[in-house]
Amino acid sequence: MKLTVDERWDLIDKIAEQVVKYGEYRYRLKDAIADITVKPLTGIPIAIAVLYGFWSFFGAFAGFFTDGFLVKLFDNHWLPWLQEVFPGKGGWLYYIFVGDPAADNCFEAFGVLTSALFVAIGVVLPAIVAFYLFLIILEDTGYLPRLAVLVDTVLHKIGLHGFAVIPMILSLGCNVPAVIATRALETGKQRFMMAVLLAIFIPCGAQLGIMFKVIPGHVGFVMLYLLAGFFVFGFILDRLLPGKSPEILLDVPPYQRPIAKNVTRKLWMRVKSFFKVAIPFVLLGVIIVNLMYLTGFLGWLANLLEPLLCGWFGVPKETVGPLVAAFLRKDLAVAQLSAIEMTMPQLVTSVVLVSLYFPCVATFAMLIREGREGGLKGVSQYLFGGLGALIAVIFLWGGLIRLIWIILGVA
Amino acid sequence: MKILLMGNPNVGKSAIFNRLTGAKVIESNYPGTTVDYTRGYMRLDDEDVEVIDVPGTFSLEPKDVAEEVAVKILKENRDSVVVCIIDSTKLERGLYLALEIIEEGYPVVIALNMWDIAKEKSVWIDAKKLERVLGVPVVPTIAVSGEGIRELVSRIKEASPVDIERIVRNLEG
Amino acid sequence: MKLNKEMKFEIGRVYFAILGAVVLGIGIAEMLLGVTGRSFEWGIMEMSGEFLLWRGLILFFAGTFYLSSIQNFSDIHQLAKTVMASVMIWIIAGMKIFSMILESIPGGEEGGWFNTLEGFLASYSAPYIPSIFLLPFSLLVLYYIKLVESEEKMDGMKEESQPTGSGGDT
Ligand SMILES: Nc1nc2c(ncn2[C@@H]2O[C@H](COP(=O)(O)OP(=O)(O)OP(=O)(O)O)[C@@H](O)[C@H]2O)c(=O)[nH]1
Ligand SMILES: [Mg+2]
Repeated sequence: MKLTVDERWDLIDKIAEQVVKYGEYRYRLKDAIADITVKPLTGIPIAIAVLYGFWSFFGAFAGFFTDGFLVKLFDNHWLPWLQEVFPGKGGWLYYIFVGDPAADNCFEAFGVLTSALFVAIGVVLPAIVAFYLFLIILEDTGYLPRLAVLVDTVLHKIGLHGFAVIPMILSLGCNVPAVIATRALETGKQRFMMAVLLAIFIPCGAQLGIMFKVIPGHVGFVMLYLLAGFFVFGFILDRLLPGKSPEILLDVPPYQRPIAKNVTRKLWMRVKSFFKVAIPFVLLGVIIVNLMYLTGFLGWLANLLEPLLCGWFGVPKETVGPLVAAFLRKDLAVAQLSAIEMTMPQLVTSVVLVSLYFPCVATFAMLIREGREGGLKGVSQYLFGGLGALIAVIFLWGGLIRLIWIILGVA
Repeated sequence: MKILLMGNPNVGKSAIFNRLTGAKVIESNYPGTTVDYTRGYMRLDDEDVEVIDVPGTFSLEPKDVAEEVAVKILKENRDSVVVCIIDSTKLERGLYLALEIIEEGYPVVIALNMWDIAKEKSVWIDAKKLERVLGVPVVPTIAVSGEGIRELVSRIKEASPVDIERIVRNLEG
Repeated sequence: MKLNKEMKFEIGRVYFAILGAVVLGIGIAEMLLGVTGRSFEWGIMEMSGEFLLWRGLILFFAGTFYLSSIQNFSDIHQLAKTVMASVMIWIIAGMKIFSMILESIPGGEEGGWFNTLEGFLASYSAPYIPSIFLLPFSLLVLYYIKLVESEEKMDGMKEESQPTGSGGDT
C-alpha cells in the first residue's frame, strides 16, 4: 500500500510525537556566532575578512614554494642541465622538449620538459594545494554554505539562487568538478547558465597561480573585471533564456571543527584528480604549439588574425600562440603570454582574453557530458548556446577592456 | 545483494560510505556534495557486498539532476537493502524519504546519524521505540567518530520489507 | 578579591570599548592612507604595504563590531560580535605572521637555498603593522568565551542528569 503525501506527513507527525523529546532549547554562543555570520550587516564584513585571509594565504603559500625554491630549482639547475645534456641541439626534437637553447629561464624556454613541467609543478602545484587547503577548511567548518546565503541576494538578480555560489567557488579550483556540481541546481536553465558562465568567466586555480606570477599587481583587477562580466552576462542570459528559476530555501548546516584526517584525505584526492586532468594537457599543449610553430602554421594564423587581435583587442599578433595553447590549458597560455614582448595593459588584456576564451578541453568535454543528460537537444544547447554566449562575451567584454585602457589614457 | 546508502542531503551518507568501504569519496559540510553515485565494497559475513553512495534527495519525486540520479539508482537496484541515513536533528524530513522507500517494498535499516549534534541540541530520540513502531532496525550513529557503525553493519541482515499498514497499526496499538 | 560575574562583564565592557575605539581609529587611518596611496611610519609601527586599504576596512569593521557590542555586553549576541571582531584581527595579524615566517626561510633570489641566520632574523625586525600590536589585546575575548561556555556546560549538565527518557545508547 502507498500513502498520499498528506497521509505520510500525518503518520510522521504521529511517530515523532511518540519518539522525539526536545529538551529545553538553549541558545549558545556558537549559535549566536552562526547567526551573525549570515546576517548581511555583520556577515559581509566577516566575509571580507575571510576572503582577505584566503587571498593572503594563497599568495604567501604559493610564493613560498614557487619563488622561494622551485623557480631556483628549475632556472638554475634543471634548465642549464637539460640544455647541456639533451642531445641534438638545434634539432626539432630538442626544440620541442627543451625549447630555446639560449633561454635563461623556464618561462621563456617553451619546451615540454622546461616550460610545461615548470608551469605544472613549479607554479600550479603550490597554487592548487594552497587553494584546496583553504577551501576544504571553509567547507568542513560549514562556512561555505553561509557564504552562499550572503551571496544569494546578489545572485538572485541573475536568476541563480542558493547554492549556485558553490559551483562558482569550486571552479576557482578547477572548472571540471564545478561543472559537475551544477547538477545540484534546480532547473535546466539554471544548470546551463551556471555551467556556461563559470566556464567562461571564472579562472581556475592553476590560472590564478600563474597570474600571480605574471601580472602580480593586476590579479585583483582582472578578477573584479571577470566577476563583473559574470554578473552582466548572467543578467542578460537570465532575460534571454526561457525557463524558470524557482526560489529555494537554503539549508545551513551547523558549524563543525574540521577533522585533520578528512582534510588531508580530501586535499590529496583533489590534488590527485586535478593532476590527472592537468599534466597530460600541459605537456600536449606545448607539443602542439611547438609543432605548429615549427611548421609555420602559427605564423600564418598570426597574420590572418592580426586585424582582429591588433585592431579590436589591441594586443600583438604573437598572442595567437598562447591562444591556441589556451584550448588545452589556460595556465600554460598565460605563462606563454609572459614571454611575449608587450606593454602591461596589453598583457592584462591578453590575460583577460585567455580567461574568457574557449574553455579548456577538459571543461569542454565535461560541458558536453552535462548536455548529454538532455539528449541531442541538451548537447546542442550546451554546444551552440555555449558557443554563442562565448563569442558574444569575447568580443564585447574583451573589447571593453581596451576601451577602459583608452579612457584611462594608458593605451 | 547490494546496499544503497540513501538519505537527505548533508546527513553524512558519504561519511558512512567511507567508513564502511574504506573507499574515498568527498564529504563536505554542505548539501549537494555528492551529485553522482560511487560504488564500493564491504565485507559482510565473509562476503563482498557492493555498497553505493547515492546523492542526497528529499523524496522520490526528484527536483534536480542529482535527485534524479538517486531515484534512478533505487529503481534499478530492486534487490538491494537500503540503509536510510537520517540526520537526528531533522528526523521528520528524513522519515519522509524512509517511509517512501519502505512503501516501495525495499528492506530498510535506519541510521540515526549526527547523534552527537542531536545530543548537543538536546533532541532526544527513542531509537528502541522508533524501531518497534517501524518494524525495521534503527541504529544511532556518529559517522565521523565511527560510533554505532559496527552495530549498523551487524543489523543489515535483519532488514526485511515492512507493510506500511503495520506501521499504522503499531502506532495505534 | 573574587570578582562576581557582573563585575567581570563590566570590566570587559570598558576594556572592549577602549580597544574598539583604538581599532576603529587605526582602521580609518589605514583606509585614508590606502586611498591616497601613502604610508606612515611611527617608531616600530608602520601602516603600509599590500592591501592597506582592505586591512584598514577590516579593522574599521572590527572596531565597529567591538563598539556596538558594549551595550548589554553579557548578552551572547553581543559577545558573538566581540568574538568575530577579534577573529578579524587574528586573520590579519595571523596572515602577516604566517607570511613573515614563510618569507624568512628561503634564501632569496641571489642567495642559496636557505636564508642566512642574519637574513632570517632580519625578516622579523620592526616595524610591524598595527594588527600585530592589537593581537595580544584582542586575546582577552578568549577569557569571556570560556566564561560563557563553562556556564553553558553547567546548564547542560543539569539538563542531562534529568531523566528525559533518552533514546538508545550509541
Ligand atoms: N558531528 C557529526 N558530523 C558528521 C556526522 N556524519 C557526518 N558528519 C559531517 O557532516 C558533513 C556532511 O557529511 P557528508 O558525508 O558529506 O554528507 P552526505 O550525506 O554525503 O551529503 P551530500 O553528498 O551532500 O548529500 C561532513 O562535514 C561530515 O564530516 C556525525 O555523525 N556527526
Ligand atoms: Mg555525499
